[in-house]
Amino acid sequence: MLTSILQQAPAETTRYMVAGYLVIFSVMSLYILSLFIRRRNLERELQILDEMEQNQK
Amino acid sequence: MESKPRLLKILDIVTVLLFISAVGMVFLYAPLEAVMGQVQRVFYFHVANAWVGMLGFLVAAIAGVAFLRKGDRKWDIVGLAAIEISFVFFFTAIVSGSIWARGSWGTWWTWDPRLTTAAIVELVYAAYFMLRQGIEDPDRRARFGAVYAILSFISVPLTFISIRIFRTIHPVIIGSGSAGAEGSFDMSPKMLQTFMFSLLTFSIIFVDLLWHRIRLGRLADKVENLKLKVLQ
Repeated sequence: MLTSILQQAPAETTRYMVAGYLVIFSVMSLYILSLFIRRRNLERELQILDEMEQNQK
Repeated sequence: MESKPRLLKILDIVTVLLFISAVGMVFLYAPLEAVMGQVQRVFYFHVANAWVGMLGFLVAAIAGVAFLRKGDRKWDIVGLAAIEISFVFFFTAIVSGSIWARGSWGTWWTWDPRLTTAAIVELVYAAYFMLRQGIEDPDRRARFGAVYAILSFISVPLTFISIRIFRTIHPVIIGSGSAGAEGSFDMSPKMLQTFMFSLLTFSIIFVDLLWHRIRLGRLADKVENLKLKVLQ
């Protein structure tokens, strides 16, 4: 009977689930962070270029 | 400096709320699968990531056609944005799928038709960025990018149908799969609801990210044009 109960139990795969979601959440977070950083850098660059353009006039 | 549109702010909030709800459904609402156990929960976001990947590649191909017809640079920005987002999500789908395979099939990777074609798709789109990097003239870059986005899209439906036409161990979620498929399971109503909600959530995430990435692309274009003007 014990063998039958053990055979019916789902496989112990929690660590793979944790690893899977860790990858999914990490990659999504890194991508959103990269969008934020790139935007911030471009805004800084635009500000500098605007100032340079004003000085040239 | 361009301020964030009100509609985008609302979309951001809706996206975050949907994402939190989807995570809640995956971990608290969907039942434990009887054979594979906890690793089956990866399936909800794994498929949703692959869906976003394919959706974005389709959007990029449409944007490519629109660019070639109209010659408007805005379509190049849309195409680049869609491919970048899809590249990231498709990569996540491949890696999370590999982790699921380890828990379900006992191996990280096998040269199965689905896995092989998915890897080819990712490599084909990796080459898209290399192609763009190698062209300095913005108009030429946009034209080549558009043609490449259209041609490379051929690889996407091939991946989608690979599990339906070839003998494969990859399970088919919708429709009938190969006799050799491993890791298939019957979805209970709660599982199906969680799956459909995850697909909806990731579609909204895609729209939200696409909007942000298009704004970033427009800003980059502005900076590039101003740079050329100032340095001349």
